[in-house]
Amino acid sequence: MSAPLVLAVPAKGRLQGNAEAFFARAGLTLIKPRGARDYRGAISGLDGVEVAYLSAAEITSQLAAGAVHLGVTGEDLVREMIPDAEKRVVLIEGLGFGFANVVVAVPQAWIDVRTMADVDDVATAFRHHHNRKMRVATKYINLTRDFFSAHGIIDYRIVESSGATEGAPAAGTAEMIVDITTTGATLAANGLKVVEDGTMLRSQANLVAARRAAWGSDERDLARAILDRVAAQARARAFREVRAHFAAGTDMLVENAKRKFAIEAPFGGPTPSGMLILHCPPDQVYALTNFLRENGAEAVTVAELGYVFSRDNTLYAKLEAGL
Amino acid sequence: MDASVTTRNQEPDARAEALVASYERAGYARVAPALLQPAEPFLDLSGEDIRRRMYLTTTPDGGEFCLRPDLTIPVSRDYLASSVAGRPAGFSYLGPVFRYRSDAPAEFFQAGIESFGRSDKAAADAEMLSLGLEATAHYGLAAPDIQIGDVALFAGLIAGLDLPPAWKRRLIKDFNRKANLAQDLDRLVLGGNNARPEYQGVLAALAGSDPKGAHALVTDLLSIAGINAVGGRSVGEIADRFLEQSALGASAKLPRDVRGLIERFLAIQGDPDEAAAALRVLASEAKMTSALAPALDQFESRTGFLEARGVDLKRVRFSTAFGRGFDYYTGLVFELTDPERTGDPLVAGGRYDGLLARLGATDPIPAVGFAVWIERLSLYRGEP
Repeated sequence: MSAPLVLAVPAKGRLQGNAEAFFARAGLTLIKPRGARDYRGAISGLDGVEVAYLSAAEITSQLAAGAVHLGVTGEDLVREMIPDAEKRVVLIEGLGFGFANVVVAVPQAWIDVRTMADVDDVATAFRHHHNRKMRVATKYINLTRDFFSAHGIIDYRIVESSGATEGAPAAGTAEMIVDITTTGATLAANGLKVVEDGTMLRSQANLVAARRAAWGSDERDLARAILDRVAAQARARAFREVRAHFAAGTDMLVENAKRKFAIEAPFGGPTPSGMLILHCPPDQVYALTNFLRENGAEAVTVAELGYVFSRDNTLYAKLEAGL
Repeated sequence: MDASVTTRNQEPDARAEALVASYERAGYARVAPALLQPAEPFLDLSGEDIRRRMYLTTTPDGGEFCLRPDLTIPVSRDYLASSVAGRPAGFSYLGPVFRYRSDAPAEFFQAGIESFGRSDKAAADAEMLSLGLEATAHYGLAAPDIQIGDVALFAGLIAGLDLPPAWKRRLIKDFNRKANLAQDLDRLVLGGNNARPEYQGVLAALAGSDPKGAHALVTDLLSIAGINAVGGRSVGEIADRFLEQSALGASAKLPRDVRGLIERFLAIQGDPDEAAAALRVLASEAKMTSALAPALDQFESRTGFLEARGVDLKRVRFSTAFGRGFDYYTGLVFELTDPERTGDPLVAGGRYDGLLARLGATDPIPAVGFAVWIERLSLYRGEP
């Protein structure tokens, strides 16, 4: 028996719910055969995959070490926790949830500060004025250092903060902060504002592969099976199926439709009996149906797609290129 | 496990011990500071960038400590804590330092000298360079490349320029970084930083007002906005910066001739006599003789002492731009390298008159010193 493929999924909170829903949509139901409190699970109907429930930070470090094969975690943690992230992991796909921006925020009272250039100038002036360096509270030590360095800022000190970072300036333990925010409401409630060009990273939950994990042929086959369904589901959600029937004369119709709308014709042109099946982005559907009727379609139906499998597996190709 | 943390490059060989013994005989008492050091001074003085190369640890009560990444700060701290603090004293050392390096062991040996409290700065500078040359000669490299710079010259130039304080501060800061100076010069010409239309109202309201008026205006603005907490910076600081910006508004464009002067200054290089001659010409043409005189006199006096110590000046390469990227140097900066090999410094040092004050000394204490990369020199097969 070969070692199973290990898929790490967040163990708590909204991230867990979102991740499970994401896999469920792809037809991959995560189950816990030994009970809800178990931190080891499986995928229903896909033998050889072990689901490990871990914290997002643990998932990130396990991915870096290659102790799990695939994992769901935030890009912010990947960029912060893994030096040379490209060498250790492959970010396969953004999952559309867990959105958060990593931003530089300063007290609202600093009405003279709007940009990172202002932060730079204020930091240098602060050091001259107070004979010490300005303190930046954050848990994103590496992201902060790289971002500040890119903006030429040297007169600052990082104060590590693992929680309630936005309270640091009011508490007097730091002058400014770097933290994640979704709406900015928590920052505003703490008298802080985001620096205009101070957004370091727009992060979301990602499906991530570990380059250093043991990738034998079994693990690759399992990863291909998972990514195939994820991709089929993602593609299905990006399109609606539009069916139309034509009595005659459809030369150039598909080519014209492709030019006008961002459609795909997965099965080519109309069948000999005049049936045409197109895949169309949801926001183009009505315009497309009009176009088809103007060009002789007798009837047009639109339906949601369950899965769209194609011969090429783009997500798996991305993984394989990175291994 | 990562090779960089499991192996030490080498033991200090007999040659390294002999080198430090010679420094001891020259009057530099050998010291051995603690391996484990408070992290704060390194992070404060070298900047956050050094954090990625440091081995940090936290004590149960939350104190941050590190394995010493160099010996200058540990030797300086021990000197300040000693009974001779403030008086002239010189020390030598040989021991391991710890820095994360992806391609080499993290633990490696450095030797060196730190000299504190000497007011005859030019002579002390020259002695350090000459003792550094003894180190390479000791390992069989008689004629390394000698690269020197002098941070005080740039500081003197900027101090003498007719520029708003905000830009002087900015130029000095960026000189200490390797990347930004050219960009700043562009910005000075363009005045881009202050061309924000949405600010013009406030800046215009402040134009010509005194600090007291500006302070009152900023206080009012904040209270109208319902903002109380200022967070580390006082209302006065915010007002002062607005005043500075307001003053910059009219003079945001650096005259081309001033920019040209800075660029011309930074292009000066050559042996010390050629460079000094070029600097004198530049100073007199720019009518900055008095601003540059103290640093230039010091420079020429140092050159004299180097010559007296038998250093072949034709082999010394001086550049006004050399010395960037070392935050705490204040005067001479030097490196001895071997162009036949990697070009990495074999000996590196300089003057850091501001360091001891930043470590807590109440009065400024002149300081100069250098470090010897035993690890690199041990590759040479010369006999002691």
